[in-house]
Amino acid sequence: MAQQRRAPAPPISGKYCEDHMPDYKDVEHLKKFLSAHGQILSRKRSGYCTQCQKALKLAIKRARHMALLPFVG
Amino acid sequence: MKTKIYESMVLLDNALVREDWKKAKATVTDTLTKYGASIVTCRRYDEKKLAYQIKGKNRGTFVMCYFTLEKDTMAEIRREWELNEKVLRSLILRVEEVPATEHELAAAENNADFVVPAPPPDDMVEEEEPIIDPVPLDEIMVPDLNDVDLDSKA
Ligand SMILES: [Zn+2]
Repeated sequence: MAQQRRAPAPPISGKYCEDHMPDYKDVEHLKKFLSAHGQILSRKRSGYCTQCQKALKLAIKRARHMALLPFVG
Repeated sequence: MKTKIYESMVLLDNALVREDWKKAKATVTDTLTKYGASIVTCRRYDEKKLAYQIKGKNRGTFVMCYFTLEKDTMAEIRREWELNEKVLRSLILRVEEVPATEHELAAAENNADFVVPAPPPDDMVEEEEPIIDPVPLDEIMVPDLNDVDLDSKA
């Protein structure tokens, strides 16, 4: 498989951050930040700021624990 | 001291829900009240296919409760759910407030005409893939064995 090169997502900050704070219940939103293999996208790819990226990781881990998201894709 | 509000999501075995919804919900609420929590709202959150199998189940019912707790009994609550065979998963988080929509959603459940849809019967199905509709018999092409060309690779 050829390596995919994608431009990093534009940084999310300020107002956007507030409105899009990752929540473990919002499965459809969280799915956008998972790779095809179910791995969490890096901050570069997700576009989240450092704090939100942390929150994203936590939200995905919680969703996985509740079987709302898979561990592997 | 500010009262601490918690959000708890509990994943219940559909077998229990199928038996009786009120009883199923009580497994969650009884534990909370037993350890001194005051339930603010509690409702059926969802019934869905799980992202992975738990205890051989492919589906489950999610119950969402918001409660306040003054006592130091959180560990006991978590432990009781962990030990309960019918509780597939549980998660308790500290929250700042109860979402505004939660009261309305929980109240709707107390209406007399509220009926919990029976969970689909496939929570014990082993296959990961959905079962494909069988092809009608008259559409299955039976090759004429006398007409098979053994040399053809097609
Ligand atoms: Zn942010």
